[in-house]
Amino acid sequence: MSVENKVEDFSTPIGVHVRNLSVVYETNQGQIPAVNHVDLDIAAGEITGIIGESGSGKSTLAMALMNSVSKPGRITNGSVIVDGIGDMLKISNERQRRVRGKQIGFVFQAAQNSLNPLSRIGHQVLDLGRSHQVGDLRSLLRHARDLLIRLGMDADRVLMSYQHELSGGMRQRVGIMFALVLDARVVILDESTTALDMLSQASVLEIVRELHQERGLTIVLITHDMGVVADLADRIVVMYGGELAEEGPTEDLLRQPQHPYTRGLIRAIPRISGNPDEAIALNGSPPDLQTFAQSGCLFYDRCPDRIAECQAGRPIYKEISDGKKVACYKVDRRD
Amino acid sequence: MKGVLIRLSQRVIWGVIMVFVTASFTFFLVRMMPGNPVDAKYNQLVMQGLTPVQAMNKVRVMYGFIPHEPLWQQYIHYLNQIAHMNLGQSISYEGVPVLHLILTAAPWTIILVLTGLVASFIVGVLAGVIAAIKRSSPVGSAISLSGSLLHGIPQFVMGLFLAYVFTTLWVLLPFGAPYNAELTPGLNGPFISSLIRHAILPVATYALSSYGGWLLTMKSSVITVLGDDFILAAEVRGLKMGTRVRYIAHNAILPLFTIFALSIGFMLGGSLFIENIFDYPGLGNLLLHAINSRDYPLMSGAFLLITVSVILSNIATDFLYSVVDPRIRR
Ligand SMILES: Nc1ncnc2c1ncn2[C@@H]1O[C@H](COP(=O)(O)OP(=O)(O)OP(=O)(O)O)[C@@H](O)[C@H]1O
Ligand SMILES: [Mg+2]
Repeated sequence: MSVENKVEDFSTPIGVHVRNLSVVYETNQGQIPAVNHVDLDIAAGEITGIIGESGSGKSTLAMALMNSVSKPGRITNGSVIVDGIGDMLKISNERQRRVRGKQIGFVFQAAQNSLNPLSRIGHQVLDLGRSHQVGDLRSLLRHARDLLIRLGMDADRVLMSYQHELSGGMRQRVGIMFALVLDARVVILDESTTALDMLSQASVLEIVRELHQERGLTIVLITHDMGVVADLADRIVVMYGGELAEEGPTEDLLRQPQHPYTRGLIRAIPRISGNPDEAIALNGSPPDLQTFAQSGCLFYDRCPDRIAECQAGRPIYKEISDGKKVACYKVDRRD
Repeated sequence: MKGVLIRLSQRVIWGVIMVFVTASFTFFLVRMMPGNPVDAKYNQLVMQGLTPVQAMNKVRVMYGFIPHEPLWQQYIHYLNQIAHMNLGQSISYEGVPVLHLILTAAPWTIILVLTGLVASFIVGVLAGVIAAIKRSSPVGSAISLSGSLLHGIPQFVMGLFLAYVFTTLWVLLPFGAPYNAELTPGLNGPFISSLIRHAILPVATYALSSYGGWLLTMKSSVITVLGDDFILAAEVRGLKMGTRVRYIAHNAILPLFTIFALSIGFMLGGSLFIENIFDYPGLGNLLLHAINSRDYPLMSGAFLLITVSVILSNIATDFLYSVVDPRIRR
């Protein structure tokens, strides 16, 4: 991929390439390495699922993709190359602003609260259009209405409403509309369906899949829900303690998980393992500041397969076969 | 719109009750004063040679009730008078209706208080926004400090200090009286400029003493809003800086509207000191004069007017609030 290559053609999907990215949160207790030396290629036109326990750094990574990490967080290192645009961490603030929303749509984990409470939804669509130099605001509104209808809502009423007049699930779908209405090429959904009941969740995800096929959208799907990624994602990336533990094509990864953490995650979900009785919760707790200070593998304390070597240093994240990567000493040994 | 009307009528009913309570309170207060001023006045008039009937009529005109009637009858009389906008006659300005005295004094106070309030609101709110956005820089800290310091100074200290600095230390501005007595009042240049020059210091006293409050409240309000998810969402959607600032300001200023009404009461209370220092013929001075000369009808009238204006400003701000905040409308 050439960075200079300007994205003109609407149908050319764009990818995002993360190199050696680190984000820390400065807290009273110390620095939390929320994202630690992450290398990741989000393939153009594919759905990439990112899974991991709570606190593993998924949201922080997603925000870092747009250089929007908020205080007390800070990107300390790395680059985020967006095809046709350049390094999000280096381009001017004004160009970053134009990429956000226009090229990269983002749906918040807290999407129910992502709207200005004092302004009508339709008005906020217009604010969005004006901020991104949309000439034809009327057709922007029409587009917003179409999306809302597709998302199963009474579009005209929603556009005339204030946030407090909508239910949590409706707000979340409005948040999704905002991410799509400018025809962004990359859409990041951070737990965007959690506030929805099972049925609406399924229908929203179905729409995401359709849009992905229609427009060649590049989608990053962040979730706790293995079932959702199993259904939708082309690739799955597993995060643990701010680092990538494993990634690979969905089928492969689910059928032959390499990292003991991935195996634990999969085993914890009855829907995937098939038999509810076999579902075993992951034991132990996520890494804390003390764990981060140790030199060995972050998963050591909880790992069923640990060996002496694991305490020596952090395992290196590397390709084990075509498109599959994992960071584990035990896997290295097996080869 | 229906919700607004319901709220408004609730407020008006509440206001009428408040006026009633204040009126009753001042009535009984006057009656319970040591040395009962009503009886004292009656006795004084009888001593001056008036017949008891004449004396009683005179007292009734002054206070709006007759001293020898049973208390509840006096009370009914008094309320009846008030309902007919009759506040009785002043004792110290003999024979002058209280309503007339109050209506002459009110404009001075209202103009000073409103100018001071609006000026401090605008400056304080803007400074508060800057203090919040630049809170980790020296500029932000300096602005916040200015707010905290000024907030702590009592109004009369502020007034005396300003008077000393600008009329004695540097003789920049005139002191005392609302305008130069040698000029003829009217729409002429010298008179108006004299009015303005005389008003600067009292207005500045009002403004400086409430500036800190606006600044500090606005600052904390902006900081709260900055932490709200929708501001982050606005950034992530690439909204322009100007639009984001508008979102922030609009949301952050709402809580200040409720304080606006409260501070009108605070300012009116302050007029007691400020008008005294700068010798302004407003309500504060009138009330002070009434207290000093035990002019009870005037006192009750002034209290009543202050109550009514606080209630009116409450209703006005409430109405305004429901216009700017869609969540209040139903
Ligand atoms: N504002 C913050 N201040 C301090 N630490 C933070 C902050 N936000 C996140 N962190 C820390 O950064 C780490 C990663 O958090 P992040 O929100 O990215 O996790 P996540 O994978 O999205 O979790 P979840 O599944 O619960 O959304 C966690 O250890 C968290 O405690
Ligand atoms: Mg998250």
